[in-house]
Amino acid sequence: MVDFGFKLSSSNRIDLDSCDSDLFLKLKAESGTIKQCIACGSCASSCSAANFTGVNFRKTILLIERGKNEEAKELIKGCMLCGKCTLVCPRGINTREIILSINQYYKKERF
Amino acid sequence: MKERIIFGYDPFVIPFTLGVIFILLYLGTGTVRILLNLKREEALNLLSSIFSVKLFKTFKDILFNVLLHIKIFKRNILLGYMHASIAFGWFMLIFIGHIEVILYTPQRNGVIYYPVFFRYFVMETSQTLRGAFFFFLMDLFLLIVLSGVALAIYKRFRSVRLGMKRTTRLKTGDKIALWSLWMIFPLRLLAESFTADISGGSFLTSTINNLLGEFAESTLYMDTIWWAYSCALALFLFALPFSRYMHIPTEILLIFLRNAGIKSTSSRDGFAESEIYSCSSCGICIDACPMSVSGNKSEYTSVYLLRKLRRRRQDSLFMAEQCLMCGKCVELCPVEIDSCRLKLLKKRENFPNKIFDYDYLGKREPVVESRANLEKKSKVLYYAGCMTHLTPQIYKSLFNIMDRAKIEYSFMDRDGSICCGRPLILSGGENTAKDLVEANSKIILSSNADILLLSCPICFKVFNENYNLNGVKVMHHSQYINLLIKEEKIKLKKGDFSVVYHDPCDLGRGSLVYTEPREVISAVAILKDSSNLPNESICCGGSLASRRFTQSERDSVTLHSLEKLNVNNPQKLVTSCPLCLKSFAKLNKRETLDIAQLVENQMI
Amino acid sequence: MEGDVLIIGGGPAGMETASRISDFKRNVILVEKERELGGHILKWDRLFPDGILASDITKDLKASLGNTKVILGSYLASIEKRDDYHFVAQLSSGEIIRCSSVVLATGFKLFPAQKKQEYGYGLYDRVITNEDLETRFKKSEGLGKEAPKRVGFVHCVGSRDEKICNKQCSKLCCITAVKQAIELKQLYPDAEIFCFYMDLRMYGRGYEDLYLEAQSKYGIRFIRGRVSEISQDQSGLVIVKAEDTLASRPLKITLDWVILMAGIISERENDYLTQQLSLQLGEDGFINSLDPIIKTDQTNIPGVFVTGSATGPKTLPEVLSEARSTALTVNEYLNKIKNG
Repeated sequence: MVDFGFKLSSSNRIDLDSCDSDLFLKLKAESGTIKQCIACGSCASSCSAANFTGVNFRKTILLIERGKNEEAKELIKGCMLCGKCTLVCPRGINTREIILSINQYYKKERF
Repeated sequence: MKERIIFGYDPFVIPFTLGVIFILLYLGTGTVRILLNLKREEALNLLSSIFSVKLFKTFKDILFNVLLHIKIFKRNILLGYMHASIAFGWFMLIFIGHIEVILYTPQRNGVIYYPVFFRYFVMETSQTLRGAFFFFLMDLFLLIVLSGVALAIYKRFRSVRLGMKRTTRLKTGDKIALWSLWMIFPLRLLAESFTADISGGSFLTSTINNLLGEFAESTLYMDTIWWAYSCALALFLFALPFSRYMHIPTEILLIFLRNAGIKSTSSRDGFAESEIYSCSSCGICIDACPMSVSGNKSEYTSVYLLRKLRRRRQDSLFMAEQCLMCGKCVELCPVEIDSCRLKLLKKRENFPNKIFDYDYLGKREPVVESRANLEKKSKVLYYAGCMTHLTPQIYKSLFNIMDRAKIEYSFMDRDGSICCGRPLILSGGENTAKDLVEANSKIILSSNADILLLSCPICFKVFNENYNLNGVKVMHHSQYINLLIKEEKIKLKKGDFSVVYHDPCDLGRGSLVYTEPREVISAVAILKDSSNLPNESICCGGSLASRRFTQSERDSVTLHSLEKLNVNNPQKLVTSCPLCLKSFAKLNKRETLDIAQLVENQMI
Repeated sequence: MEGDVLIIGGGPAGMETASRISDFKRNVILVEKERELGGHILKWDRLFPDGILASDITKDLKASLGNTKVILGSYLASIEKRDDYHFVAQLSSGEIIRCSSVVLATGFKLFPAQKKQEYGYGLYDRVITNEDLETRFKKSEGLGKEAPKRVGFVHCVGSRDEKICNKQCSKLCCITAVKQAIELKQLYPDAEIFCFYMDLRMYGRGYEDLYLEAQSKYGIRFIRGRVSEISQDQSGLVIVKAEDTLASRPLKITLDWVILMAGIISERENDYLTQQLSLQLGEDGFINSLDPIIKTDQTNIPGVFVTGSATGPKTLPEVLSEARSTALTVNEYLNKIKNG
């Protein structure tokens, strides 16, 4: 076989082989409840900020799991920390804690 | 009275004197450091409060709190006596000692060690009435202090008898200071007993002198005991800065600063430093804290946090983030340290300010929907807030009540709220919350309402403290319903069922609204008491301030709180907070309802 | 009164167990707290997945009871195990019953939907539960004379929810929702019907077919996303807030009616019985079998058996199969103790 030398690199695919799990591992180690998410959407549904902007906590967890940490941080920056998501989560995930942890991770202050 | 030792000096005074010099230097530098950290305005306030009538109040506060520990007496008489006997007793010993020097050996005025070792240096050649009164007082106060020390030792073994389920764990510095403190007074008793036949003594020291018999004759034993006494004092004084007993001198400075209206602005420096060092590690906050119900969480109570702040530990932030901010430790603290404020400041100093972004709020146009005629000024603007949307029965009942009373009102956030901002502030984001405050203020002011009606105490507190609403009256719905009842706008019938009321943390301790909800409830049902006073009510566990509390830990706090509420067997539980309502309704076996629902059911 | 077996609960499980044990010519006593046998299926109209009438099943079950002594309108006040082969129970009527074995067929309870405060059951007229709807079907009332334009079904109310202390899945509500959605569409062909779900559990035979039929034949719309709040607008219509997770955005819709799929939970009122018999309960409150695979109808107490939904949510055919196997087990047990 001849080594052709050309390849179409896939850019739209989520490549789980090479995703940045650093933030996800940190969050799992911190409180652990992030592992329990069933992506039901209660958080995003009750979100105060979601009325006006794209804040979506369910999607944030998904993005972090898939290694898209920067996008997750951008998505969550409009969060008012009101706590409705924590009150409705059926799996008892400590949502506000995770949001603050993500933001502190980016401030590199202390994790 | 004559001097026994010509120069009024003996080598045994050296340890004590060194100790005093050390501590005076330490206190001096500390005080200067704290005062230098004050802002100009605060320093001016301090000066003006010293040179005014406030000085009397300060002295009174020092007498009542530092010496007599009145606040601790209110918690438990034995505990109060224990603290007061040692503090006041020891103060009187020093004070009367100085008077003795002034009266009887005025040539030794100003010698640091002389009043403390008075009975070593003087000699009564004949029985006169002269020293007898003071000797009696000194022996009396020594006895009082010794009884306090005995109680303190007893408390280490059976703290429950003094009203404390848990006591503070001690660090090494605390232990050295504690043991030397406990040794000082028995040693003093022994030392003064040895010289009682020479210098004169009273009922206690003379008696022991007689019991000692031959031993009292020996100068070797006498000198040894006085050396031991001096060393114990020295050890205590050297250990003082590294122990909890720094609270003795620091509390005096604290009272001066506090009475000048100064509050903490950093979590460690300035006023905060005087608060942190004033903590006596008495441990009253451990039993008070609702978290100490769930096992190891008593590690996060205020006393341990203050210790971590004092030692500038990194993990003090972690501890501050656990706190439910219910305010009970502040309420019960005998030194009135505002540890919740320190925690808030700590969080504020570490908040990722630049990352949160609320620009999108500025783009929203305020739209106020009104049920009434839009031309008329809508009297009441109701803001449900984030939490009440999850407990709609509260506002539905409230609207029924207001409809019956023919009140004109608008529902500000019918289609979703901009958060009031307090959860963000409680996480340390007070600067970032300014955007939320601005957005909400715009809406409220453009509605032209007289009253901003709130059903959530968290919102109530923040609208009162952090918003500037240009004269719009901020009312909680329990207050408003009370007003409607007083103005006879609604007619109610009194039910024959019993009800217990839970004071929400932010409404009770947080905003000092205790009586209006109780007046409302008494008008419609039989009000029973819980096991706690209104200002000592236990947090429901739902607090948003705690970042790291898990659901099961919150549930154990809720169950503990329910146990105390249901102690008199009420039929129903009434709350005035949606968060409390949610937390209690989840686990309470009895009917749980909001105050608005209670009143709606009893309307005629 | 004396007997071989005391069966507590006269629902399908209790009735079928009674019938099959009485086939073995045993002395069976059946106690039911309501005034009528049948349990929860008395309230159901048609059963999934094929739409068989519940009343037919009830009729068949009642017909085969044989010589069973049926006591209605009475519940057990207390029960005690005396030595190895003997139980004594006292009824609320005062009557004493002695028997050699006990079968608990106490069934389940539906989650009281007002506990989920943010859904407004009991606050808003247009928010009803699956049970309410089923009753309306039975009375041929439907949702009133005025045909609704839009109806929504909310799945998982009281199930899989740590916030109201019920972590388990109730198994039957997904298929019931699809069934009821189809029935509503049959009543009101022009209505738009939505189902708000987290997961669709279509595990049984014929269930997936029903789901496919719901979509293709009846045009029922399934939106994946959990409802967080239900409120009311000024005209009394209901506003539902959910997230459309597949579109990743929050969603809002105004509906005429909302049906809450209340889940299946254990009847904690019966805890006094299980305590008196020293039975073991799971964290979810249901009774634990001796073993989850082979000895599902035995309990940790010899002579006490359990059948039906008392051990967890089950479909009707599963309940009836289990009831028959319990009858065999009880019969074997009675043989063993009679022979020493």
